[in-house]
Amino acid sequence: MKKTAEIVIIGGGISGLATAYNLAAMGMKDVVVLEKDYLMSGSTGRCGAGVRQQWGTEMNCRLAKASCEIFENLNEILDYEGDIEFKQGGYLLMAVTEKEVEQFKKNVALQNSLGINSVLLAPEEAREIVPDLNIEGILACAFHQKDGHANPFHTMIAYAQAAKRLGVEIYTYTEATGIIVENGRIKGVNTNKGDIYTDKVLIAAGAWSKEVGLMAGVDIPVRPERHQILVTEPVNHRLGPMIMSFAGNIYCQQEPGGEFIMGHGPAEHETYSVTSSWDFVEEMCRKAVRFLPYLKNVRIVRQWSGLYEISPDAQPILGRVEQVEGLYVATGFSGHGFMFGPITGVLMAECILGLPTSIPIDKLDLGRFERGELIFEPSVV
Amino acid sequence: MRIEEHPILTFKRGREVEFTFNGKKMKGFEGEPIAAALHANGVRVLSYSKKLKRPRGFYCAIGNCSSCLMTVNGEPNVRVCTEKLREGMVIETQEGRGELN
Repeated sequence: MKKTAEIVIIGGGISGLATAYNLAAMGMKDVVVLEKDYLMSGSTGRCGAGVRQQWGTEMNCRLAKASCEIFENLNEILDYEGDIEFKQGGYLLMAVTEKEVEQFKKNVALQNSLGINSVLLAPEEAREIVPDLNIEGILACAFHQKDGHANPFHTMIAYAQAAKRLGVEIYTYTEATGIIVENGRIKGVNTNKGDIYTDKVLIAAGAWSKEVGLMAGVDIPVRPERHQILVTEPVNHRLGPMIMSFAGNIYCQQEPGGEFIMGHGPAEHETYSVTSSWDFVEEMCRKAVRFLPYLKNVRIVRQWSGLYEISPDAQPILGRVEQVEGLYVATGFSGHGFMFGPITGVLMAECILGLPTSIPIDKLDLGRFERGELIFEPSVV
Repeated sequence: MRIEEHPILTFKRGREVEFTFNGKKMKGFEGEPIAAALHANGVRVLSYSKKLKRPRGFYCAIGNCSSCLMTVNGEPNVRVCTEKLREGMVIETQEGRGELN
């Protein structure tokens, strides 16, 4: 293991690896990534894999659009021999309350103003996209064809391989146990395998970011929240877009291989546990069959769970940390770290190299919570 | 050849019943695994591999390998090696991964 590095990135998920790749691609030498377990063992490898641009704040719309455009070309950008399986079947968002309809109208207007060509649809029009949709109780839908999903495993492997080719060192089963700060400056990182001296650290530790922040004496206000998910047996293709209801708290999509992946997210206790529950399966089946009755005939193959890292305003926390020189964060994605991953990598690399960022991220800094400048995102599951 | 004993599964061989396989009438015994009835009727190909479309036959016979997934009474992906035969069952070779109804 290296004794020194230009930067140590804590977290071997999409945010950390995408940043590592972009830093190396922009010319930084000696980039080290620490992962306490195996790559993708945290939230990336457990996520629902959706990529959407239909957001309710300008910031999220801009980030998501840019991220999606990277996904579209990621196989080529990373020179990946496999396929990240990016499929743009669209996202069909279903409004079941009047309040949601109003929100959708605002969101679509905002998205359109930012070049995201989402449309508001009557339930009958939504059936032209999803013919089997049970529209009972659905008041309106929003649809955007360029949303979709990608394979998190392939995406991560693509980033990891490309980063390694550029000289990035990725240390798995290597846990950061401390961050050395002297006179308000980063000096190094202690790990279970020895110390690495560096003057830059990026915390990209997802649900574990709060603990890692405390190692540097910084309070990163994110909390872990368990979310469950299941996958069915593969069947022939029937569902084009990801369907999603915020009020109904459900999403469901069909993978390129034919499996349905679905989840719903009741507010759960704060925990690092990633166990699964029977209640989830029952409730998930009820919710999914309500919208897509044919799902009653498909078998569930397995279920699992992962952690969201929830920030106080459900928006990412990106950028420099004021209190400690050389400390950066990329966390707080509140369940959307995978879809924002590609743009996170670009923006964080630019930020760390002191370049102007392609999208302004100063409002997403950690300091916003102290300043009381929160940006609430209305559209999350 | 008819499978009458199975190392793991136990089944009671009931009365003779009719069923159809890809529209063809066949006879088997109620309660025996569907695959056993198909085998006795000379059916050796139960499914086709997903990518290369190569024929797949009776393999694990205990519901693990997915070599015998067929559409039964319109329900896709039924493991015919463990599902019991009933009177009048409509058994079909599956196209691709199976259509949900």
